Amino acid sequence: MSEDALLGTFEEQVMLAVVHAGADAFGMSVRREIESRTGRDVAIGAVYATLDRLEAKRLISSTRPRTGGASRRIFRITAVGSRALVATRAMRDGLWRGIDLARLA
Amino acid sequence: MQPPRIPTALLRVLLPDAEQVEVLDDLAAEYRERASVSGAFRARVWYWRQVTASVPSLLSRTLWRGRTGFEPRASGMQTGGPAAEQWIMDARHAVRRLIRRPRYAILAILTLALGIGGSAAVFGIARAIFFAPLPYSAPESIGLFSAPFGWSMQEFAFLRGHVPGFSQVAQYRFTDATLELGDSPSQLVGYTAASSELFDVLGARPALGRTFESRDEAIGAEAVAVINYSLYEQLGGTPAVLGTRIRFNGAPTTVIGVMPRGFFFPRPTIRVWVPQQLDPENTTGNYALVGRAEPGMQIDRMAPQLARFGEMMRQRFTYTPQWDKTKGMWVKSIRDAIAEPMRPTLVAVMAAMAMILLIACVNVASLMLGQVEGRAAELAVRAALGASRMRLARQLVAESVVLGVVAGIAGAAIAKVGFNWLVSALPLGAFAETATFDWRVFSAAMVVALATALAISLVPTLSLWRGRLSGSLGATRTQGVAGRGVRLESFLVVAEVSVAVLMVAGAGLIVRSVQKLYEIDPGVRVEGVGVVNVVLPSDLTDMQRRIAFDQIVAGVRTIPGVQSAGMTQRLPLRGNAWTSGLTIEGKPEVARQSTTIRLVSPDYLKTMGIRVKAGRALQERDIAQSAADTAGGVVVINEAFAKKYFGSENPIGRRITSGFSDKMARIVGVVNDVTESDLTEAPQPTRYSPYTTWNVTMPGQSIVFRVNAGRDPVGSLEDARSVIRRISPRAAIQDATTMERILAIAVGPARQALTLMSLLTGLALLLGAIGIYGVMSHFVSRRKRDWGIRIALGLSPARVLGGVVGRGTSLVAMGIVIGLGAFAVLSKFLEALMYGVGRGDPYVLAAAIGGLLMVGVAASLIPAWRASGTDPAVVLREQ
Repeated sequence: MSEDALLGTFEEQVMLAVVHAGADAFGMSVRREIESRTGRDVAIGAVYATLDRLEAKRLISSTRPRTGGASRRIFRITAVGSRALVATRAMRDGLWRGIDLARLA
Repeated sequence: MQPPRIPTALLRVLLPDAEQVEVLDDLAAEYRERASVSGAFRARVWYWRQVTASVPSLLSRTLWRGRTGFEPRASGMQTGGPAAEQWIMDARHAVRRLIRRPRYAILAILTLALGIGGSAAVFGIARAIFFAPLPYSAPESIGLFSAPFGWSMQEFAFLRGHVPGFSQVAQYRFTDATLELGDSPSQLVGYTAASSELFDVLGARPALGRTFESRDEAIGAEAVAVINYSLYEQLGGTPAVLGTRIRFNGAPTTVIGVMPRGFFFPRPTIRVWVPQQLDPENTTGNYALVGRAEPGMQIDRMAPQLARFGEMMRQRFTYTPQWDKTKGMWVKSIRDAIAEPMRPTLVAVMAAMAMILLIACVNVASLMLGQVEGRAAELAVRAALGASRMRLARQLVAESVVLGVVAGIAGAAIAKVGFNWLVSALPLGAFAETATFDWRVFSAAMVVALATALAISLVPTLSLWRGRLSGSLGATRTQGVAGRGVRLESFLVVAEVSVAVLMVAGAGLIVRSVQKLYEIDPGVRVEGVGVVNVVLPSDLTDMQRRIAFDQIVAGVRTIPGVQSAGMTQRLPLRGNAWTSGLTIEGKPEVARQSTTIRLVSPDYLKTMGIRVKAGRALQERDIAQSAADTAGGVVVINEAFAKKYFGSENPIGRRITSGFSDKMARIVGVVNDVTESDLTEAPQPTRYSPYTTWNVTMPGQSIVFRVNAGRDPVGSLEDARSVIRRISPRAAIQDATTMERILAIAVGPARQALTLMSLLTGLALLLGAIGIYGVMSHFVSRRKRDWGIRIALGLSPARVLGGVVGRGTSLVAMGIVIGLGAFAVLSKFLEALMYGVGRGDPYVLAAAIGGLLMVGVAASLIPAWRASGTDPAVVLREQ
């Protein structure tokens, strides 16, 4: 995976939700983050499928801590993932630069 | 408060075990939260939407995981647990394993494909023949009449519309005629001549045009014909066929209708139906009756109606006791009449199919077992590393499913080719029109393939389950001779051979029966003999007919390529021979007996190849002498007659009645016996009299002619027809065929089973050989180390060869013994198809035993040869 791999829109949303959820990033909390921040209803299956793909690309990693209560698959963003987020943001900014929002609206 | 159950169950299927608990718990928690905030209904809607929206992405994730083998790090060393992805991975693993072992894979796939494809092809045919609905409406109320003698036109004209219990009755007869299409030489086609109500009785509608109307059967009406679908296609397959003229039975005939695909009556080989022109005064004819029962009547309960019918006929016509056709008359439903003769064939073919499939399964099972044995070390290592038996078993199942799918596809291709071949090779007639190889046969093949594959995987799974895996880790290092599974593997070979013996012996019985039927000397030399049945107009006087027939026989004799020609009033091999009373001078005790009589022209005996055993044949001067009605005539008898009435006495010169008057005739010769109808019947005592003996000349006569050796009599049928037309333009030619065809029909139903059964037997032998080869070559490769050591110690390669072949042969021998035991019990089901052979026929048993032994030896030779060539240095270094 090249370092400046860019993320798809939904991948970007899931990655950012993982970051927002912090230490408590499991499937359902990621889904809720997306929902609360975008206002869109997201299917849990789509979230898991994307998380799997992101993990396969080594953009996030998952562990299953065995510490009391329900054992959940917890996601964390990797260094590769961070760089991908930064690169995606940079690309987006570059594209938006110089565009007058007032005239678009 | 629990979330809805159905979507929960759906999720459970789609999620791997490792994720199930958290996802379901978290969803349930949110569901409860939503229910308390916005009500149960909205929560449910939400839950349902969550699940339904998740299904596509979860499904594609399953496929993706299966394809890539992705497993999250969170799962640690364990796999996520059973979801379809595990199966996909196992299948991929199986495919890789199979690709690495091409010989095993090809052998297994080929075996299964042959078994599945072969039985699917036969199933496709069997379905068309045995399971297709009859092409008649309400066939249960159609009855075929059977009487000891056929009915004449005069009788039919009287009984028409008056048969008790039947709303309509049609008369029909079927035989062959010539058909000329374009410039191609004339061919023989089967046709039915029937009264106009035939299609109404059958409840059959034409696909195109019309069927018969009553005006078609008037004397002198235009010749019209209804044709079957395959002939329609042969004629171009467009509605323009209607109204065209074909040259049928030597006369231009207008096509008025086309029957739908698959229609037949009464035989599937019939291709043309023509209306019978009806002459109510004509007392000849040999017609059968088919009727539709009145509503509410049952065909099998019509004895009282038949008795009334018989009474009605006896009041109008006088029947002498031996000619009384109202006695021994019965009615059979059309389904029984058509299906019954096929039943033994059906049973035999189906059983053979099942056995083929069984052999193929056993083959593949033993191949897989060999693979499991070969993988013992690998499996033991896996088990030692924590793979559960379930997991290992699943790999085996996955492997056989992959084999099953590939074999199913290959089998479908084989089935398609085999099916097309069978359709063109078998005399299916109308059945070929409806026999289609469609998706149903294909999916049946696939289902069978998969079911078979699953059943097969049970065998190695069982062996895996029962064995101690850890123990085999040690044993496999040394390639122990007494490895586990040897017994099971040997058992499979024995089982397979015994099924094959059963099948070869069963097929052998059928082949021998048919052979015996053909071996029966029908008493005539059928090859090279053409037959034309001629009916002269009934308004001719007897003398006019006699002269016309004389001229016809003489004319046919002059056709180039024709050796001799003769005539008789009734052909042998077709049944319905005439019989008449007999008295013998000096033997008053035989009075009132009746025997077969045949009126012939002098060259009849020579033309049919009937040999004179004593005395002389009939000669030209006998004809004139008989006609002159002076001191009585002469007569020739057959051997059965001589044996029955004269025993050891010399019959030549004795005087008997000729059967047509009290006039006595002198016996001048004895000829060999000729089969009258059923080949298996004892020969009938028969008298041959010059046709002039009786002053009546029947309007219908069979003209027979023999062509020069090497010629096809079909080619001369047209010439014979033009001779007849020239001499008697109003003659009707009812029949133009060959004695060979008449004999083939007399041989009967076992003949139909012959082709299919020999084909299936060949397949069984091939599969048996593959199975024995597979097991023996595995046996050899597992003992490579043993052979290596022994050869290093001085064992000669010849003895290695002998050892391997000996082992293969002993397994086969065991299978043969068991198979013969089963055969002794099961062969009684074949009795309906058997003739002239006992169930313990030595030839059949010898062929089965010899065949299987040969296959066994041949199949173990290649592995044995490989074993004998083992280089000890190489083997010992390898291991």
